[in-house]
Amino acid sequence: MKINALKLRLKDALVPLILILIAFLFSAIWISFMGKSPLEAYRALFAGAFGSTSGVVNTVKKSVPIAFASFAVIVSTKANVFNIGAEGQLAMGAFGATMAGIFLKGLPAAVHIPAAILAAALGGMAFALVPALLRVKRGINLLVVLLLMNNIARFLLQFFVLDAFASDNALVPSTDRIMESARLPYLIGPPYRLTIAVLIVLAVAIVLELFFRRSTAGYEMRAVGLSPEAARYAGIDINKYMLLGLLLSGALAGVGGGLEILGNHHRLYIDFSPGYGYDGIPIALLSGGSPLISILGSLLFGALRTGSLNMQAKVGISDEIISVIQGSLILCIAANYFVKYLLNRRRSGKAGKEAGQ
Amino acid sequence: MVYAVEMRGITKRFPAVLANDHIDIAIKAGTVHAIIGENGAGKSTLMNILYGLHKPDEGEILINGQKQAFGSATDAIDCGIGMVHQHFMLVPRLTVADNVVLGKEPRKGLLYDRKAAIAKVAEVCSRHNIQVDPAKKVADISLGMQQRVEIVKTLYRGAEIIILDEPTAVLTPQEIDDLGEILRQLKEGGKTIIIITHKLEEVMDFSDDISVLRGGKHIATLRKAETDIPELTRLMVGRDVQLGGRKESAPGKEEALRLTDIVYAAAGRQILKSISLVLHKGEVLGLAGIDGSGQTQLAEIVAGVLTPSGGSVVYHSRDITGKTVAQRKKEGIGFIAQDRQKHGLVMDFSIAENLVLGFQRRPEYCQYKIAVNSKAVISDAQKRIREYDIRTPGEQVRVSMLSGGNQQKVVVAREMGSRPQLIVADQPTRGVDVGAIEAIHNILINHRNKGGSVLLVSLELDELMMLSDRIAVFFDGRLMGILDSATATREQIGMMMVGSSLEGKEGPAS
Ligand SMILES: Nc1ncnc2c1ncn2[C@@H]1O[C@H](COP(=O)(O)OP(=O)(O)O)[C@@H](O)[C@H]1O
Ligand SMILES: [Mg+2]
Repeated sequence: MKINALKLRLKDALVPLILILIAFLFSAIWISFMGKSPLEAYRALFAGAFGSTSGVVNTVKKSVPIAFASFAVIVSTKANVFNIGAEGQLAMGAFGATMAGIFLKGLPAAVHIPAAILAAALGGMAFALVPALLRVKRGINLLVVLLLMNNIARFLLQFFVLDAFASDNALVPSTDRIMESARLPYLIGPPYRLTIAVLIVLAVAIVLELFFRRSTAGYEMRAVGLSPEAARYAGIDINKYMLLGLLLSGALAGVGGGLEILGNHHRLYIDFSPGYGYDGIPIALLSGGSPLISILGSLLFGALRTGSLNMQAKVGISDEIISVIQGSLILCIAANYFVKYLLNRRRSGKAGKEAGQ
Repeated sequence: MVYAVEMRGITKRFPAVLANDHIDIAIKAGTVHAIIGENGAGKSTLMNILYGLHKPDEGEILINGQKQAFGSATDAIDCGIGMVHQHFMLVPRLTVADNVVLGKEPRKGLLYDRKAAIAKVAEVCSRHNIQVDPAKKVADISLGMQQRVEIVKTLYRGAEIIILDEPTAVLTPQEIDDLGEILRQLKEGGKTIIIITHKLEEVMDFSDDISVLRGGKHIATLRKAETDIPELTRLMVGRDVQLGGRKESAPGKEEALRLTDIVYAAAGRQILKSISLVLHKGEVLGLAGIDGSGQTQLAEIVAGVLTPSGGSVVYHSRDITGKTVAQRKKEGIGFIAQDRQKHGLVMDFSIAENLVLGFQRRPEYCQYKIAVNSKAVISDAQKRIREYDIRTPGEQVRVSMLSGGNQQKVVVAREMGSRPQLIVADQPTRGVDVGAIEAIHNILINHRNKGGSVLLVSLELDELMMLSDRIAVFFDGRLMGILDSATATREQIGMMMVGSSLEGKEGPAS
């Protein structure tokens, strides 16, 4: 039995790796359609992401908002909601952090930074509030609502950056710079500029792991996520957890966006996020609901985003290939669920063997 | 004599278990042969081998005296074997006829000949006197009908030997009778029938010969005329079994639960119409009725998962009508929900996690008020696994890996472990094997003997009569009367279940 358990865990780890491999192979086909060599392309991708110190640092940097987005998706699925609105919440978190960074004045860094992070969390959370209430009070399926919210966030962002808080002295449209006291300190200073955001990612992942594994509320939330009916019969308030799950999820996405501003840009741009919020979705699905494991997935996606620039420069493939790889990955994940579903059906009714030809 | 089926020395090993251990079994042509055994005894495995779905590790199979080696189900079908699985594999959107001929369609030229299909299926049905409408969509017919379609499918493929794996598990009592009739007809038509079951009453109804499996071994083959249910039970379980437990004292006089004018309506339909009744300490009150008469809703109202449209629930002299499930649990109301997989358990949780579900906030399972005290949870789980004889390799195993009986034991262990005063049990023995039934009966009766109260919903009259002190009979959401189980007869209860009220004695209580 011990051995069986071990095998099972090995298999669990193997599946995501195989899916990632397939996604890369699949994208390789597209690359060769474009008349380029996939091998060269991937070599350039790898070299860009890991070939130099600055490449590695950039990979790690980019993985920060991605990791928060995947935490957001993980937390929401644990509470039986699927938060595909992380992108919008991330943007609102970035906005919240920017506002706190610009307008809170005269604070020491030790206060200003936590306050700005809190503002980011509140921004993301506020943006998740309406969908959460719709879900809990009306039982509405959130897929469409959340996608709409992402669009609304884009418009809001444009309004804030181009109009309401537009800076007078900036080359590209953006807000003013945040105060020095709100900027995250460096772990590794210029020219690399790696901030303490990476430590925050680790700390949050550990706290989340502890929450789900050890806390009573985490246990209850998992019960709601796995079987809302059984949870209700056990006397657990499932609405409370769905609300809590989505709000916490929004807060996490918001912090991801906030750290991006506080650590890297120091001002809010319209395009500060190339879609980090969406990156979180496949990672959350691949990581089996574990925040710590999702950090690995985030590093992978961070590497893709970093390396793609090099790939573009060296091999001349547009960085849209990242979307292709990500899309194939999502397809693979869906196919994996579908195959599992088919296998389950076969197992529960082998009579199909003779019937289905 | 030549047997229709002979299986010799069949052995099948799965990674964790020896599912079949040198099984020898012979089945006479033109008989109904039952294969019985507890869950996990290896019945399905043995039949899947006969049907070519599994290859045996050792042993040989003879069909009509000829040695056969099946590489697949197709080989078995060619040899005249048909099998109806526990879960049907029909395509809901196709018609009955389409489903029957699927994979072996009559053709006109290159095209599927639907008319011929319907005619052929109708012909097979009438030859065996089986009533199904070939033109109906499978999605629109009952489970009992779908099972007939599966049987017709085997006949269409020319089966002479028909295997049915737990065919009655999904059927209503009426459908079970109908199935018995169909099996009798098939037998008269010269077919050989193998039926797997763990319900012994059916065995006595349906079969000529009975083979007992236990722990992967063949224990005995008996003629029905020469055995009885107690003997079969003993052979199946490996020891004497006493269902129903033993009541020790008369029920108390103190009230544990009083329901007054409970009304429940859903989707514009009156499901409970002004129900009033009282349950005492030290008493088992059975709720009888055909499925869907409102008993389940009443149980769920007491447990708190359903809110009544009107009326009051008083528990130990306190009105608890508006209390939540969690509050009722705290007050000592335990609930064994009817659907253990959907409502009673989180199937992807481990046994240990499920054993505290609903009780996770109790101080003994908490640390610093917010964390789960894993040590306590695990040691408690190990204790319960021993105490309630839950068959599992360990407390970390997911409950979805357990058999139905063991899953139910997890639910029972959890609800009993909280030392409740009132147990609400909605069909607690549904779909579990006889060993587990015995255990659950004993647990409920012991609870009663110690002064606890039990509100028991069951569709099995025998079970109600064995366990209950009084039986409340429901029909169409109304309480038709309450009988003393010591003096009530099956006929009386049966009549009330279909709507005739009790004359003389108590009269309808509402
Ligand atoms: N495909 C399989 N893989 C591994 N173990 C199996 C498989 N099928 C059955 N088993 C195991 O073999 C034993 C016998 O199962 P089964 O034949 O289904 O019993 P029954 O039909 O009598 O309830 C059980 O312990 C079961 O868990
Ligand atoms: Mg079986």
